[in-house]
Amino acid sequence: MRSKKLEHVPTRGEDTSELPQPYPYAGVPVWPVQTGTQPEGMPLHACMGLNACRGADRFGLEGHTDPTTGETMVNDCAGQGYCSTTADHHCHVQNGCRDQGGCGLYGTAEDQDNPGHNDCSSLGSCATPINAERFSSGGPNQGKSVWARARKVFEEKVWPELREELLARQASGEIPADCPIPEQPGPVPEPFANSGPAYLWITNNYTNPGAMFACGTSGLSGTDG
Amino acid sequence: MTSASDPTTPLTPAEKALVEKINATMTREEVLDALKTHLQTAAEIELATIPIYLYTYYSVNRGSSTGNTLTRADLFGNRAGSIIMSVAVEEMLHMTLVSNVIFALTGAPAQLYGKAPGVYPTGLPNHNPKGPVGPHGGTEVKIPLDKFCFDQLWHFLQIEYPEAADAPPEGDDWDTIGQFYSYIRCLISSDHVLDSDFRTGPAEHQIQPYNYSPNSIDTAYPTGQFDPWKLPPRQDGGPVMDYGAPPSAAEVAEYANAGDSHAGPEELIAVTCKLDALNALDTICDQGEGSATPSGSAPTDDPSKTEESHYYKFLTLQSQLEPYATTTEQLPQVPAPPAPVDPGWTQEMLESENIVFNLPPNPVTRATGAGPDRFVYPEDTAPISDFLNGLFQYQLLCIETTYRVPPDQQKRFFNESMHQSMIWVMDGYCMMMRGIDVGDGYVMGPTFENIDLGAPQDAFAALDALGKKAIQASALIPAASGVPKSVAGTTGYNADNLGVAKSMPDISQYWR
Repeated sequence: MRSKKLEHVPTRGEDTSELPQPYPYAGVPVWPVQTGTQPEGMPLHACMGLNACRGADRFGLEGHTDPTTGETMVNDCAGQGYCSTTADHHCHVQNGCRDQGGCGLYGTAEDQDNPGHNDCSSLGSCATPINAERFSSGGPNQGKSVWARARKVFEEKVWPELREELLARQASGEIPADCPIPEQPGPVPEPFANSGPAYLWITNNYTNPGAMFACGTSGLSGTDG
Repeated sequence: MTSASDPTTPLTPAEKALVEKINATMTREEVLDALKTHLQTAAEIELATIPIYLYTYYSVNRGSSTGNTLTRADLFGNRAGSIIMSVAVEEMLHMTLVSNVIFALTGAPAQLYGKAPGVYPTGLPNHNPKGPVGPHGGTEVKIPLDKFCFDQLWHFLQIEYPEAADAPPEGDDWDTIGQFYSYIRCLISSDHVLDSDFRTGPAEHQIQPYNYSPNSIDTAYPTGQFDPWKLPPRQDGGPVMDYGAPPSAAEVAEYANAGDSHAGPEELIAVTCKLDALNALDTICDQGEGSATPSGSAPTDDPSKTEESHYYKFLTLQSQLEPYATTTEQLPQVPAPPAPVDPGWTQEMLESENIVFNLPPNPVTRATGAGPDRFVYPEDTAPISDFLNGLFQYQLLCIETTYRVPPDQQKRFFNESMHQSMIWVMDGYCMMMRGIDVGDGYVMGPTFENIDLGAPQDAFAALDALGKKAIQASALIPAASGVPKSVAGTTGYNADNLGVAKSMPDISQYWR
């Protein structure tokens, strides 16, 4: 334990020396507060690595500037996009559509075992994006990473079903023929591949704590909201 | 569904004797009438506890700090809030279970709208007005709305007081809730009541198990400081990016409820036979008072022995307050009371550390009918209070309405009505109220009065009108600036384009 962090009691953010040093996401594009233009007709999604196709991520079709090379990059494939595209929401039941709920803070065991996988508007659990600090408060995943569970559910349940729909739409000409619809979703961007988007990244090294909120009163949601 | 559950508690000798008496002396009609009457009383008992617990919950400040800045006081306050919320959630479960039993038996749910106590301090329905000796020597059982304090926890104990082993069933003037439910168990167990009696209201229209969860982020609490940047482990044990120092929030989180604290297959069950009804009542009694043992009630209510009963949760909280060490309140021998925690918290410490908001005892919105024990809010805050009371009554109507909603639409209706309003609207609204100064050093809390919204088909319009008045009033009260957003999340009235996407459903279509 870093004793320095435990010796005095500012609220989080009052003392930026308390932040992880060096900033772990210096080599990652800055999290965009505004969601970019999305490919027409493609489903929106709840978080990083849960996207359905090329260009479908927080940066959208405009892409992002690679901090290392300076090149403009567009997410190239399903499963490898940066962060959520659904309308940001803070709480249980606030999701707008199928598979657009976050999870982990409220909801039944069944809800909490299926983050990012819900049937309809109002049937999703909790805030988006799913910050990496968030753990499930109930169900089989209690105490464990919500985002990691969401990615697993995406790989095992959401993507196989969604892929069939997309292939059918591609066959009917609704989706361009060159849009990749791989059998397995692509890799999640590093360094988030195992954990999902950290609140530290979403808030740009905690310079914008209001970038996202998640409800709850116990102070355990991993955000300031 | 959870894998384990409590076995259905067998009848005690006293209960067996009463069942024999019921069989011999009452007609089937008399038994069914008594059962319906007592179940409605049970629903009103459960309902009465909810405002009482929520009021105290909203007096606790759980948000003063987090992570590595948590103090000992913060940790106590957060735990106290978690425990009170964990009990309130189970009281909502109990009210729903009773309502499902009533619906199964009669085809109509429990009457809840307008049936909360409304005026505080209050006795509980049919409760013996005299109980065990309290911390100040009195025996009166009248439960106030009050902030978190030693005396209020005593009142919580009066509600949840465990029955002695083989205590007599009591249908009226009951001493403990367990004895009251014991009487109902005897009615159900009599030969006059048949399994088929519980098939009047179809199971698919009852409130379904998938609507209930024992825990949420609000029933969790941190047991110590944690690094707010450290990430939780993965279910598959895979690596996570590690830049935080242990422990993480996930590692210090404790959950006040457990998934196996129920008789029957699940916590919330649809009722189709006598056993279902008995299991529903068993869950209620065990969660409140603890599992029955030959010597009395256990401190826990579940096979895993990880969830304390309501009584023991509250007593454990009380044991951490300074007056507990010398209190003369009369407690049962079983379960054995916990030892006092030294040093215990004084009320002055809790308030100076900003753990408790100074909510007034027994607040009322207006002076009309106010008694000597009540605190009257300033006139300009009345619309703010009215809206919260309207929301509370509308929630009760939504519960009754759930039984009218087509089963395939129930989860969505329940989410948009109950979950959204409890978590997103009421919680935020009550926290906002705490910022409103109402004089004499007090801040505002919910009064939970039985405001009249008219007939169910007119209730949404009435709530909408209350919301608009609350918005008008809030314009003159800077601390009430959150009112428009809450109103938008309730009725959809979104005058300033606040970006609130969802509101509660208009129930009128289900009552025409």
